[in-house]
Amino acid sequence: MNAADALRAQINDLVRQYYDEKLSPRPFEPVKDLVHFAGRTFDADEVCHLVDASLDFFLTANRFAERFEANFSEYLGLSDALLVNSGSSANLLALTALTSPKLGDRRLKPGDEVVTVAAGFPTTVAPIVQNNLVPVFVDVNLGDYTAIPEQLREAIGPRTRAIMMAHTLGVPFDLDVATDLAKQHDLWLIEDNCDSLGSRYRGRLTGTFGHLGTCSFYPAHHITMGEGGAVVTNDEGLARIVRSFRDWGRDCYCAGGENNTCGTRFSQQFGTLPFGYDHKYVYSHIGYNLKVTDMQAAIGCAQLRKLDGFIARRRANFDRLMEMLRPYEDRLLLPKATPHSEPSWFAFVISVREDAGFSRNDLSRFLEAHRVETRSLFAGNLLRHPAYQAIPHRIVRDLANTDRVMDQTLFVGVYPGIDQVRLDYMGEVFARFMRGERV
Amino acid sequence: MAVQRLACQVERLIQHGGRVYTVVLRPERPAPVFRPGQFLHLAIDPYDATGFWPESRVFSIASSPSKRDRLSITYSAVGRFTTRMEAELVEGRQVWVKMPYGEFVVKSTTDVVLFAGGTGITAFTAFLDGLAPAASQPIWLAYGARARSLLIYRDLVERAARRLPSLDVSYFVEEPEASPQEREMIGCVSVAAMWPRIRRPDHAEYYISGPPAMLKSVSQDLRAKSVAAETIHIDAWE
Repeated sequence: MNAADALRAQINDLVRQYYDEKLSPRPFEPVKDLVHFAGRTFDADEVCHLVDASLDFFLTANRFAERFEANFSEYLGLSDALLVNSGSSANLLALTALTSPKLGDRRLKPGDEVVTVAAGFPTTVAPIVQNNLVPVFVDVNLGDYTAIPEQLREAIGPRTRAIMMAHTLGVPFDLDVATDLAKQHDLWLIEDNCDSLGSRYRGRLTGTFGHLGTCSFYPAHHITMGEGGAVVTNDEGLARIVRSFRDWGRDCYCAGGENNTCGTRFSQQFGTLPFGYDHKYVYSHIGYNLKVTDMQAAIGCAQLRKLDGFIARRRANFDRLMEMLRPYEDRLLLPKATPHSEPSWFAFVISVREDAGFSRNDLSRFLEAHRVETRSLFAGNLLRHPAYQAIPHRIVRDLANTDRVMDQTLFVGVYPGIDQVRLDYMGEVFARFMRGERV
Repeated sequence: MAVQRLACQVERLIQHGGRVYTVVLRPERPAPVFRPGQFLHLAIDPYDATGFWPESRVFSIASSPSKRDRLSITYSAVGRFTTRMEAELVEGRQVWVKMPYGEFVVKSTTDVVLFAGGTGITAFTAFLDGLAPAASQPIWLAYGARARSLLIYRDLVERAARRLPSLDVSYFVEEPEASPQEREMIGCVSVAAMWPRIRRPDHAEYYISGPPAMLKSVSQDLRAKSVAAETIHIDAWE
């Protein structure tokens, strides 16, 4: 072993010691500690990977990004996984890729409609608006919070060209209907899988049904790299377009710091450029820079190995919460999976029934006062937010349930950092509220 | 397809004569999924993740995508880098590979005409090797080399021809003193010689892989036959 390798090994050992001293989980102290709705779950492996990538000091995407993309696409059984700097960026790239002139007549053009829902995270819808397309909103089912399948069918009009929706907090939307509509009407299908990594529909992983899928690796998600996300696809042509939009819009696919990977850097004709203009600076799209660093990818590599374990713990936590809260079903609408699905739960979603005798905010306030963190179902009804009130859009029937979600729904965590002690504590706090305690 | 960088061991070196070599590589882990016709970059100097990818050259992946525990390339020692390869590659040596790249992938849904010169045949070997016996796609292959002994993939081509009734093969040997064998012509790979054999020239896609002079002459001759530019695919590297 040379001196540099020996030092790296020594640093690795020290990082493990540091983790044990400083970062390893402490015993839960009820009342003092917050039961988070989500959070990073990690051990010394992630910290060692991060430091290892830092010692490479390559900074931009390198060996860990390469390894993550290979392992992640293999996990999903797809040809391509493209790392980006967030799940929101993944959504932006996935939809924007479909506007590429390289798709000919199939490209999305301004004014084309994209079917989606308003009860979710804004950056599922934002790319539709940002690309001058028109979102068509369908209402959601209460309980699973995914698009009502019959309304999906009703949403299709002469200008409808795509469906882009999230699998809501781990619950797959009706992929039978969505894929059937996509085939029947020649629509693009984008699965926003940011909150549902590991969920299955008819036994197959979500994110792998559509032309494109997206993932998020923000700390609240199933695996994390801090900031990070991915666009996944089984279509190499689409992958190349996504890569181009991600990497400044350039035509060349060389990795950062590399030249002439294609072997034809100075011998191609593009547009009205002179023949042989440097391919590295030929732009086939009006793109962005949404790449990750190798440090982020390094954390992701360690996390990916743990994904199946994380999913199992989320499911076990969900089951335990369900067991504890089932006695209150008369007042709480508890979460359910859609038919044929096996969710990889992001959270435990609860809607307060209209005749419960208390409001969603009463429950939220009580839980928060007792250090159990809650969240609304993101935007509730996105169309009621200042930024979205004036956007061109179409609504199928009405968004009555979406408004109910806005008024009556909250969620608590099931993430792997919630252990048995915390779960029991959550159950106890819910029980006290249900017995009539208030803040 | 995700590009990966892999350390590989040179497992076998085959000298074909005329400074033409085949290198069989054993990657440290199964090579990434690739398609017939794609290429790899090979570096002789070690790659270290703290720095940049070392100098490398591109080579068509001659081996089948179905056998990802081995990779084969064939090269002719003609330039500075390949001369270094000739001098430095020995069995057991470590080299680095990054792959897969390229879009020189033969369509499987149309009539295809393949023009291969010398080691350029490696752009087609994985395609030919992977075709199922039931494949009904009409394929014409023109395969040429400086000498008969340098038709180094002739066995593979013959096996494919026996398996595939829809594969029509013509060989071209440049040695003027050679007496032609079955399906063999003396001279360079030639559009004129192939043209009468191609059943529906207007319905075919044309693929050319070989030395620069051949790429130029074959593509010019195809254009002269009014073949549409978008149906001519050239495996050209700088």
